[in-house]
Amino acid sequence: MIYLFQLMNGIGLGMLYFLLAVGLSIVFGLLHFVNFAHGAFYLLGAYLTYDLIERGVDFWAALAIAPLMVGLLAAVTETLLLRRIYHLPHTFHILVTVGLALMVQELVILAWGPVGGNVAPPEALSGAVVLGEFVYPQYRLFVIGLTAVLALALWWLLEGTRLGALVRAGSESTEMVALLGVDIVRVNTAVFALGAGLAGLAGALAAPIRGVEPFMGVEALGIAFVVVVIGGMGSYVGALAAGLLVGVVQSLMTTLWPEGARLMIYLGMALVILTLPRGLFGRA
Amino acid sequence: MLDRRQFLKLSTLAAGSLLLPAGLRHAIAADEAITVGVPLPMSGPFAANGKFGAMGAAMAVDEAGSVLGRKLAYLEIDTEGKPASAVRKVQEAMQQHGVRLFSGGILSSEALAMGKEVTKAGGVFITTAGADELTGAECNRGTFRWSVPTFGAIEQTVRPLIERLPNAKRWYTITPQYVFGDGLLNAAKNVFKEKGIEHVGNSYHSLTEKEFSGYLTNAIGAKPDVLLLLNFGAQSSDALRQAVSFGLKKRMTILVAWASGLEQFEALGPDIMDGVYFGAQYWHGIDAPFNRELVARVQARHRMNPNYAFASNYLTTRILIDALAKAGSHDGAAVAKAMEGMKYAGLTGDEEIRAADHQVIKNYYLLKGKPKSAMKDKDDYVDIVSSGRSFLSPEQAQCRMA
Repeated sequence: MIYLFQLMNGIGLGMLYFLLAVGLSIVFGLLHFVNFAHGAFYLLGAYLTYDLIERGVDFWAALAIAPLMVGLLAAVTETLLLRRIYHLPHTFHILVTVGLALMVQELVILAWGPVGGNVAPPEALSGAVVLGEFVYPQYRLFVIGLTAVLALALWWLLEGTRLGALVRAGSESTEMVALLGVDIVRVNTAVFALGAGLAGLAGALAAPIRGVEPFMGVEALGIAFVVVVIGGMGSYVGALAAGLLVGVVQSLMTTLWPEGARLMIYLGMALVILTLPRGLFGRA
Repeated sequence: MLDRRQFLKLSTLAAGSLLLPAGLRHAIAADEAITVGVPLPMSGPFAANGKFGAMGAAMAVDEAGSVLGRKLAYLEIDTEGKPASAVRKVQEAMQQHGVRLFSGGILSSEALAMGKEVTKAGGVFITTAGADELTGAECNRGTFRWSVPTFGAIEQTVRPLIERLPNAKRWYTITPQYVFGDGLLNAAKNVFKEKGIEHVGNSYHSLTEKEFSGYLTNAIGAKPDVLLLLNFGAQSSDALRQAVSFGLKKRMTILVAWASGLEQFEALGPDIMDGVYFGAQYWHGIDAPFNRELVARVQARHRMNPNYAFASNYLTTRILIDALAKAGSHDGAAVAKAMEGMKYAGLTGDEEIRAADHQVIKNYYLLKGKPKSAMKDKDDYVDIVSSGRSFLSPEQAQCRMA
């Protein structure tokens, strides 16, 4: 029985990890851009949600506004700064985005203080579902449901729409798509904003579970990279599968061998790198 | 567009202004002054504690102004929360600025390392860090510690709570796996055994864990009456927040044995804290004359209530200054001698520095979170349930002063 609950718990965790990692994966897949500022967008999403709720904004409105603001900010950053370094080697991407992440983190400390804060889940979801002797928070159930719907919507966006086709074509050959008369620069901005917005949404959804604190972005970035590496760079299905895998493994391990719950995630990543260098669903 | 020359000019300006505060601090620490070194984590995940701690130390130095006819100064040292950086920068302060008196160190690892280093150079180091070894197996001539070690923290939280809840016979523990966590866990197990409490389970977790839902599910499965959280800082906040979201407050009593006080409560908020018990070294609502004075002065100066990091670092710095005056000399050995056995009106009432192991004998507090509707002001998060002093003897703590 306890394993069943840890499994469910792991799925809940995994869906959050998926949301966190999919943006990173898409941005890498299309733009071939290594974004170490991804965690900073997650951090901003969480803090904006916190701030809006503190100002009396309804939780649901905050959940919609915060990721949009993060996406908008990402679009501006992309246009002014990141676009100029796409053509440079990955080391430059890392240099610039790590700097960006540090700036965001320090600005968050300046704006909201170093202590952190609590975000209450919405009234309607503040209880817990009781199943026999076990309980599960309603809010976490809601997160599972919402991310499942989002996963489907995202899949449709990438596989079933013209934008998705452009994104996928662009990830194969940017020059070819540009030659066909597509404004690939705008597509790039849109994709980057989408990736960042998804990280912002993950932050907003995580805020009532984790609370907010200035260093949450760094931890999130670590998890996101693990998921992307396991799932395969640029693979949507990979992000979903690896997110769930990491969540479930982490959760089950807390019952089987609690001391090693964290270790297993990184051990798993090392194993995947050794046996499947491109990840579970990575392309050549 | 910025050209290269402009960029260079701008960045030089920016770097200059960033360096300015450090330069000023330097100037204060002039040769004729007696300088107190304040090594705290000013950057990294514990920067929040470090910043409040530095404010407290600065206020103690400012208030005293001078001692032994010489100006007092303080030197802020960023340990980055890492033992290696802490030791290197403390060495620098000793060699380049001749600093011999230090008040600081929040993390056990950095405090243990700095204490040894300062003692080697004949200086004095007083800290608020938690590891038992500081005044136990690794005690030494120059290291002093204000906070209550793990034994007292458990004795003054688990024991009174057992008495308050005579029907709560089943306890579950969640413990971070390192020396500090095991110190708390062993002390708790001893109390359980003595009081006939059934310890229905324990979950160990790593020091980097942030996700506690799995451990909480284990805890729910064990059906305890009390959940005892033995982690601290952000980890105890995460564990508690998630426990509340799992509806555990309705099923069991929750005790956080080692809370960091106001700074943690601000992050948690009253909705989560209501009905939860917390153990704490300090609370601004303590009814002791010196604490009431300090609270009034901090409110006048900073318009806030002193939190744990502020108050404890204020006091440890102040102890150094008082010891300087008492010793009549700034020689490390003389100051250490003056501190041994020193009695003073402290933040938790009358406090005393035990000569044999350099441990300050002071109260530890059991607090209980109150509902938002019962809070009299924005910082009125808890009521004090009980308080008292429990310490192992220096022999039991395995302190052999070399």
